[in-house]
Parts: sequence; structure tokens; C-alpha cells
Amino acid sequence: MNVLNLAIPVWQTLAMAGAGTLIAVALGAPLAAYIAARAPGARAIYLALGALRAIPDLTLAIFAVVVVGIGPAAGVTALAVFYTAMVGKMFAELLGTVSRPVLESLEATGASKFSVVLFGALPSASTDLLTFGAYAFECAIRASVVVGAVGAGGIGTEIVGSINALDYRRVAVLIAVLVGIVWVVDWFGAQVRRQPLLALAIVPLGVAGLIGSKPVVFAAAHAVKTFAAMWPPVLDARALAALPVAIFETLEIAVVGTGLAALFAIQLGLIAARRFAPAPVAYAVRRVLDVLRSVPEVVVGLILVVAVGIGPLAGALALGIHSAGVLGKLFAESVENVPVAALDALAATGAGSVAIATYGGVPLALGPIVEHTLFRLEWNLRTATVVGMIGAGGIGQALFNSQQTFHYHEMLAYVLITWGFVLSAEALGKRFASTLAP
Amino acid sequence: MHSSRKSFFALAGAGAFAAALPRAASAADTIRVGMIPDAGATQVSIDEKAPLREFLARHMQRLVDLIIPTNYNATVEALGNGSLDFAYLGGLTYLQAHARYGVIPLVQRVSDRAFHSLFITQTDSPLKALADLKGKTFAFGDVNSTSGHLMPYAALQAAGIDADADLKFRYTGSHPATLKAVEAGTVAAGAMDESVYASMMASGQADKNKIRVFYRTPPFLDYVWVARKDLAPSEQFAFATSFLALTEAKNKPILDILRGTKFVRANDGEYNELRRIATKLKML
Repeated sequence: MNVLNLAIPVWQTLAMAGAGTLIAVALGAPLAAYIAARAPGARAIYLALGALRAIPDLTLAIFAVVVVGIGPAAGVTALAVFYTAMVGKMFAELLGTVSRPVLESLEATGASKFSVVLFGALPSASTDLLTFGAYAFECAIRASVVVGAVGAGGIGTEIVGSINALDYRRVAVLIAVLVGIVWVVDWFGAQVRRQPLLALAIVPLGVAGLIGSKPVVFAAAHAVKTFAAMWPPVLDARALAALPVAIFETLEIAVVGTGLAALFAIQLGLIAARRFAPAPVAYAVRRVLDVLRSVPEVVVGLILVVAVGIGPLAGALALGIHSAGVLGKLFAESVENVPVAALDALAATGAGSVAIATYGGVPLALGPIVEHTLFRLEWNLRTATVVGMIGAGGIGQALFNSQQTFHYHEMLAYVLITWGFVLSAEALGKRFASTLAP
Repeated sequence: MHSSRKSFFALAGAGAFAAALPRAASAADTIRVGMIPDAGATQVSIDEKAPLREFLARHMQRLVDLIIPTNYNATVEALGNGSLDFAYLGGLTYLQAHARYGVIPLVQRVSDRAFHSLFITQTDSPLKALADLKGKTFAFGDVNSTSGHLMPYAALQAAGIDADADLKFRYTGSHPATLKAVEAGTVAAGAMDESVYASMMASGQADKNKIRVFYRTPPFLDYVWVARKDLAPSEQFAFATSFLALTEAKNKPILDILRGTKFVRANDGEYNELRRIATKLKML
């Protein structure tokens, strides 16, 4: 295995994530300050950011290729747009939570709305802002692998290419490298939570990334013409007839995937909970969950499409495997947090640890378990549209096929349908959240 | 040149990933050559094609960057927005790129002028003719592939098989993937590029004892090297003459990378038959 030909994709992945995060913070923070200052049009900007965030990153990458050409620049553009929306929205919310008395005392001095945000809210929220910036970078690393799958370069592109070239050994090496990177970045995130200023280490990486992924072209006029030619969105009779099936398949991928994940996560979560399992076993299971979590759904999907064939089964399994890792960790924490007294009472009856876990741990932690699962379902409804694009069926696959065959009117129709689908899923998620809130 | 030198030092300062430098630093005056990913697209496949890149750089007196996008569509869009100067396209991809962005056909292999698709199946399968495929599972390559989708689709239609109604088919995304799907028995049969088939058989990547060809399509025009529309004619000429100068006696390694023996000039008029078929099947 030649190390050099791994270094380029690894660098591209880090560069895309760093540069994307840097642009997102640079654009998102002022937007957030503007929103937090409740300046004119703030509400509209806030809603626009929310709407932008509902366009899947993979779709953004397809559009970005038209503007800045193939290669990492397209990835940086897609990530920058997606994370500007995320950072802007979250920063605005963080700035909004700064305690009112601090701000009111500033306002009393006659300070303008902007100086209140700049000198009042910003310093008090700075720790949260740094921590969230690092979190955005963690997410962007996984996302940069995902956008690579449509040609943005980096590890994602390498994985797709290696699968098509049947070089499965290289696929395995690339996934191992990816797990390693995610592990290091997660560790970095944990350090930032302890020492927020460390988040500034992303800045030099981002700058180097920006220079390294300088676009080959910036075809603005070409892009405007190409996008304009996509209008209006059109679905012919055949596509319209197939639409309900496609939407059902996407729902199926999300629901079956989340269900499978919850099923496995309950078992794995109990074994990973230090209270119920011997320490070495709990440790080993936790590491397995870490690995499941570090490989993005799209990457799992790419492999499963080869293994089990194109279609919704591959998508559901991909979501299931990744989500099992995420939910397993959350479930483990939930059962660890149940009151000790209740479990001691069970133990006093002579119950073994399996019985205690089954009849004590799970029922007592049921609230958080259901809550985590529902949140995951919302996430998976969005991701189901994305894994579709790599051959897992449903609306995503319809979108990708029409894009690949240059049926751009049809593609635009699918983009809009996907967007509506994700927005509905988010609205549904919010409704659940408010119902569950005490 | 000055700004690229500045970025060189900035990147060098960034440290550990010096490997990416030559590519990033020289972007400004580099010729960018793309190839459709008909047999996968990785850093390994780009490294394997290094002799081709060096040959072009020497002949054209320019730095050459070789790029394999992950899909056919991205290759065409890259020619449209100018992020690729030259590209190796399949017949159908060429027609799409020509219709959308007026790309100019330059050269092609002698073999591209009478190309064939092969229908393959397992050695012990009962399949003998295209008509036997009714109701069977089947693999096409990429949806935009001429020899992996368009021409096999047309051949099936001529044999009275409507792929959409009569076959349970899927797109594998590449010719090698189609061969492997057939070899593993995941599908009853598949259609693929004859040059990829020959090279996989010769290199041992495919198992001769497991696979057999049961139908070969009539000849059609396939792959071609093109230039983007507004590239300087002198550049187009230099690129074309580089390929026309390739001989087996002198340039065997490069011709092997290109899976060919000799290059000739290509022209758009000869693609009319393929254009008619693609239009009829609504793939153009």
C-alpha cells in the first residue's frame, strides 16, 4: 500500500472540512449576531437559514460542481453553504440564551442593539461558540466524506472509485483510515469542551484548506445559465406514477433502519453500560459502537449496495448499522442514569444482572430511549433521501438517476420534493419534541 | 505565477501533507485532462496512468493534471464549465457533451470505430440467446455507458426483449463491477465493454472458467477524446497529434493504459447512427 496515494485523499478530506467550517463560522457568526440583535429582517434570515439547512449536503455538492468544477472546491462550497446555515442558526440561538439582565444593563447605558450583542452576548457565549465551532468541524469531517461520493475528492471519492475498481482491500484500508480520523477529531472535540480556545486550531487548517482547494474555475455565468435551464421542474406521467412508491421507499428506509437500529442498540447499549456488564466487555462493546458511529451512512450504503444489491434494503441496513452505533451509546448512558435504589431493590430479590438490566434498567430508562429513537428517526428521514443517491432506492435514487442522465427538469422536481420531505420531517420532529418536553 | 508561489509556501507551512502540493501549486497553467470512470476512479488508477500524463506533458510542453471524476455526468459538466480542457468520453457521453456544450471530437482508437458490447453469463448457465433473458436478473454498467447500457439495451429491444418490462436489471456503475456481479452469480447475465473484458481476462482479474460470452452486438462507434469548445485550436492540435504519434513499437506502455493499438482522427458526423439510437431510446 503506497502511503502517498492515501495522503492526498486524507488531506483533501481534512482540507474540505477545515475550509468549510472556517467559511461557515466567518459567514454564520455575523449572520447570527444580526439575528440576535433582532435587526430588520432578522426573522426572515433565520427562517431562510433553516430552509437552506434542509437541502441535503449531497444535493448541494451536485450543484457546486456546476459552479466551481470537480474537485475539493465543490466539496468546500457545499459544506460552506450547509454549515453556514447550521452555524448561523445555532449561534443565533446561543446568543439568544445569554441572560437578559446582563444585556438589559448594557442597553440601559444607551448601547445600540449591535454593541449589546458584540460586547454583551458575544463574550458570555464565546465558550459555547468555540465548542460549537469544533462540533461543526466534527460533523463536517463526516460530511466531507459524504460529498466526496459525488466527486468532490477526498476519502469519499476514493471509496466510490475503489468499489467500482473492485479494489476491496483499498476500501477496507480507507475505512480504517476514516475511523482513525473520526476518532482523532472526536478526541479533539472532547479537548475543546475542556479548553475551548483549542478550537482556534481549526483556523490554520481551514486557511491551508482554502488555499489547497482553490477552485479551478469559477463559472458564475455558466452556472446561472445551467441552473436557469433546469427551470421549470417537470415530472412526466411515468415519473409521477412512480413517485408514491419512491416516497414510500424513502420512508421505509428511514423507519426500518431506525427500528433495526433501536433493536440492536438496546442489546448493545445494555452490554456497554458499565453497571450491567463486566468492565472489559463494556469497554469492548463501546469501541464497537464507536466504529459503527464513525462510518457515515453513505459509506456503509456504498458497500451494502454492492453486497445486497441496489434498492431500499441496502439503505435501511446502512441507516440501521450507523444508527445502532449512535443509539447504542445514548442508550448505554440512559440506562446508566437510572436510579440506583431501584436496581438495588431488584438485586435484593436475587435477580441476576441480565434480569436486573431487562426488568430494571430498560423500563426505567424507557423515556429517554423512546426520545432518542424518535430524534434518530427524524435524522434518518433526512438521511434516507441521501443514501438513495448512492443506489439505495427511493426519492434520492430517482434524483440521482435523473441528474446522471441529464434530465435536469426532472432532477429539479426531485430536489424540491426532497426539500419538502426533509422540512416536513423536521416539523414533525419539533412537534414530537414539544409533546415530550415536560 | 506569483500567487501560486505564495500559496506554495503557505501550504508548505501548513505542514504534514506536502504530498498535495504539486497538484495545488501548479493549477494555473496546467492542462486538465479528464477520463470517465469506466473502470473505477481512485488515486491508484491515476498513479497507474502516470506514464500517460508524462507523455502528454512532454509532447505538449505543459504541466498535465489527470483527473477521473466519480461519474460520467460530472465529466460532462466539467467540460461545460471549463474545469476540464480535454476528456476521454464514451460514445453516449460524447453525444450528451456535444449537444449540451459543443465539445470537439479529436481522436479515438481504431477499435472504437467498430466497438462491440458483450453479453456474458456463467459458464454453466443455460442462456444461449438474448431471447432467453426474459424474466432473468441482469446487470448494466453505468446508466450513461454506451457499451454497458445504450447498445445492449438497443440489442435487447431488437431481440424482442423490453428491458424495463422483461428483465430485473440493475446498474453496477462500471464494467468490472458488471463482470464481478456475473462471476459471483448475483445476476444471471450482464452486458459490458469488450476491451475491459479482454483486459480483465488477460490480467487474471476475471476467472476464465466461470464466465462465457453468449452474444456480441453488431459494431458501433464508441469512445473518443474531446476538447472543450473554446480551447485554443493550437492546444487541440498539439493534443491530437500526441495521440496520433503513438505506435506500438515505441509507446507500448501508454497504449496498454489506453487499451488500444493505434489512434485515428474522430469526427462528429460518424456518430449520427449512435445519435439516432440514443434519441430513439430517450437517452439523449
